[in-house]
Amino acid sequence: MTLAPARKEDLRLVTGQGRYTADWNLPGQVHAHVVRSDRAHARILSIDASAAQAHPDCLLVLTAADVEAAGFGGLPAGAPLQGADGKAQVKCAMPVLATDRVRFVGQPVALVIATSARAAQDAAEQVLVDYDELPAVASLQAATASGAPTLHDAAPGNVSLVHESGDAAAVQAAFARARHVTTLSMHSQRLTGAPLELRACLAQWDAQSDAYTVYTPTQGMLGMRSSLSQVTGIPQDRIRVIADDVGGSFGLRGGTASEQVLLMLASRKLGKPVKWVASRSELFTGEWHGRGLTLKGSIALDADLRILAIRWDDQADLGAYTCYWQSFIGTRNISVTMGGVYRVPALFARQELIYTNTVPISAYRGAGRPDIAYAIERLIDQAAAEHGLDRLELRRRNFIGKTEFPYTTANGTVYDCGDFAGTLDKALALADFAGYTARKAESQRRGLLRGFGLGCYLEASGAGAAPKDMVRARFASDHIQLFGVTGPSGQGHETSFSQIVADGLGISPALLRYKASDPGQELIGNGTGGSRSLYGAGSAFKVMVERLRARACEQAAGLMGVSADSVRYEGDGVSGSFGHLPLMTLAQRLMPAHADAAHPLDCEGESVSGTTFPNGCHVAEVEIDPATGVTTVFAYSAIDDLGHVVSPQLVQGQVHGGVLQGAGQVFGEHLVYDADTAQLLTGSFMDYPMPRAGWVTTIRNDYNNVPTALNALGAKGVGESGCSGSLPALVNAMSDALRAVGVPPMDMPFTPAKVWMALQEAQRPR
Amino acid sequence: MKIQLTVNGQSHALDCEPRTLLADLLRETLGLTGTHVGCDTSQCGCCTVHLDGEPVKSCTVLAAQADGSRITTIEGLAGGETLHPVQEAFAACHGLQCGFCTPGMIMASVDLLKRHPEPTDDQIREGLAGNLCRCTGYVNIVEAVRVASRQMAAAGSKA
Repeated sequence: MTLAPARKEDLRLVTGQGRYTADWNLPGQVHAHVVRSDRAHARILSIDASAAQAHPDCLLVLTAADVEAAGFGGLPAGAPLQGADGKAQVKCAMPVLATDRVRFVGQPVALVIATSARAAQDAAEQVLVDYDELPAVASLQAATASGAPTLHDAAPGNVSLVHESGDAAAVQAAFARARHVTTLSMHSQRLTGAPLELRACLAQWDAQSDAYTVYTPTQGMLGMRSSLSQVTGIPQDRIRVIADDVGGSFGLRGGTASEQVLLMLASRKLGKPVKWVASRSELFTGEWHGRGLTLKGSIALDADLRILAIRWDDQADLGAYTCYWQSFIGTRNISVTMGGVYRVPALFARQELIYTNTVPISAYRGAGRPDIAYAIERLIDQAAAEHGLDRLELRRRNFIGKTEFPYTTANGTVYDCGDFAGTLDKALALADFAGYTARKAESQRRGLLRGFGLGCYLEASGAGAAPKDMVRARFASDHIQLFGVTGPSGQGHETSFSQIVADGLGISPALLRYKASDPGQELIGNGTGGSRSLYGAGSAFKVMVERLRARACEQAAGLMGVSADSVRYEGDGVSGSFGHLPLMTLAQRLMPAHADAAHPLDCEGESVSGTTFPNGCHVAEVEIDPATGVTTVFAYSAIDDLGHVVSPQLVQGQVHGGVLQGAGQVFGEHLVYDADTAQLLTGSFMDYPMPRAGWVTTIRNDYNNVPTALNALGAKGVGESGCSGSLPALVNAMSDALRAVGVPPMDMPFTPAKVWMALQEAQRPR
Repeated sequence: MKIQLTVNGQSHALDCEPRTLLADLLRETLGLTGTHVGCDTSQCGCCTVHLDGEPVKSCTVLAAQADGSRITTIEGLAGGETLHPVQEAFAACHGLQCGFCTPGMIMASVDLLKRHPEPTDDQIREGLAGNLCRCTGYVNIVEAVRVASRQMAAAGSKA
């Protein structure tokens, strides 16, 4: 039996024919290697590159002086935010190459270019940097301690911003009359996104046109191009960005880092294409980190178990510099949905964004959304446990009801639709909650600790930075070429967008091809991010299909010599008194003589789509062996409300992947810095446990989809929901099992060693 | 130094630096970019190829060590237009998303099915313990290996 591939992308990817950035080579190319700081905090006294330059294969060494001479600015520091005191955020942009000071281990200090990658590395090892070391702060705690060394003169106390959201007075009043109050501080630890494709770049300057071609992984070419232009000052129309296949991104690769702009500069200076491929070791400190949030929640309940208020006191670790979406994570993204799926009459959050001598943090799958979903659901469980309440009853009493939409939260977010109670019931049924007591007793007989945990999450998907999403269809002799901005990194855009258009036109998806971010197509649109590609560009394709059907009718009527109102689009083409004319036959007959000329059916679509509210209930059941501290995820069930689903198999894949990335954070992943030196102690996959096959063996999933009217497609997005559901579900399951034997609340990751120690501690006689 | 090796049935006599890794030789000298490099500590398995029929992580083998060997890479797995059952199953089961780990996953899976033609789920997971995937959550990868096993058994019983 022959099996059909799930996606249009698959045939090239299973045969080794995918084309990732490192697979590109250009004639005459030379190679770069980055010299990075091996100190967390130091003044640079001098950089001696003479030995490197004397290497027979070395062509060029770039330092901060060259970057300054080229007129480059710092890396993008994100849109300005305002503090609670009305003052602007203290933004300290990261220089492309360190100038007089380094502020984290891994910060780029120089770039060495040689005839081969190996020679570039050899020469780079001979660059001598003389440092005067300064005391470093490796954690939020150290950075905010009194008398802590400061990173930036402009940011006393290492504070970049103090931000507030909601109504502090209303929350205070609610707490004053509460029957039950619970407070829990939780840390969402620092992670590395670790897309498996190593970050890479190949840059070529063309002397004749004074233009640049930059091959590098992106989430959509426009975001990358605008950041390259912003840093270099080179107009966008002289930069072409090319990314075919992208090996994962998860929020990390939307804009330039130091290397891309340095390669542009080097290519111009040398008149040759310059290539750089990172090593994995290098990326542990050479790529933005993720998470790094401390969330302290307090919840107030009345005697009827109604939530009166929730208050958050949060700290976001920025790392050493402000960059990209980072400041939104610790402010907007963790406050817009800070009441979760619950009716909370009073909400308030106070957030501090803090500099530390560590790698800057930016977006990683969810960018704050999973963190706040996690914190809310843990707080609910903790309140239930502390006050002897039923965790299901506590949730059911406080869910925003199906009939209460649109629902405006106490801090002004408008949720459009959902069925939270129905989703919980469906999830409990899928997880066979009815049989849980028997399963727990059975585990107990075997000396094992069983726990059951819920994650009733809701997240706000990305609003998008571009004003709209535009797409285009161009008719070729044997297919229709679709163009959009949003660039895939595994999501299957080629398949899903083709599916939307094929369904709308009644034709085979095989007749459609999708190309993201083609440099020859000037389109406005958002890159991949915030779970919004499908409903953003997908809605635009849906709008385009309607136009295309109308245009096909007009063209068919003209061709057949009948009136336009006598024909209609049905099935795979246009029907009228002349019979049925399939779309592709019509397209053939209208084909212009010149291949480059526009085809009369060529069509554009556009759509403005903002934030949606994907939600769901994930349920985890874990079993802990107290003798070893090893946890087995016995069962995992997910009910998601994702609105309209286009490709069920691909959506399921996103759920699976998100759940396992969540499991990675819950059970192993953790970037650990040495407290004194701020050296990264977990600098390879040998020290940083990436989730492997078997961490979660079975994921049962189903949907309780309530289509949204917020976009033409009715979809809510799925990219980040797996993390938002799995962090609370898994941790609540662990906490459930551990609480029963007296273990106090713990932070992730629940490694066997940590769990075992906690169990020993709990059993110690006091 | 001079080495001779056969890659996907084609014989090559090559000159390389003694420190050249097999993965780099395949990618850079022979242009076989289907073999990917995702780490530098032999953890990710993206670079898995078969050396004289045994799976190896080609980032951890010197090209010089492969002198005189037969190598199969992802590009040499399909028989012309006909995909290997493991390739077919990965695509059918949505066992890949970004596709970067996929060549190594497939090469490791082919070997695991050679050792265990009807593998248990534990044997599959153990067989893939040396390969990382950041996108799929592995559930569909494990399913793909199961499906491939059934397909191969069906094809074998027909033959």
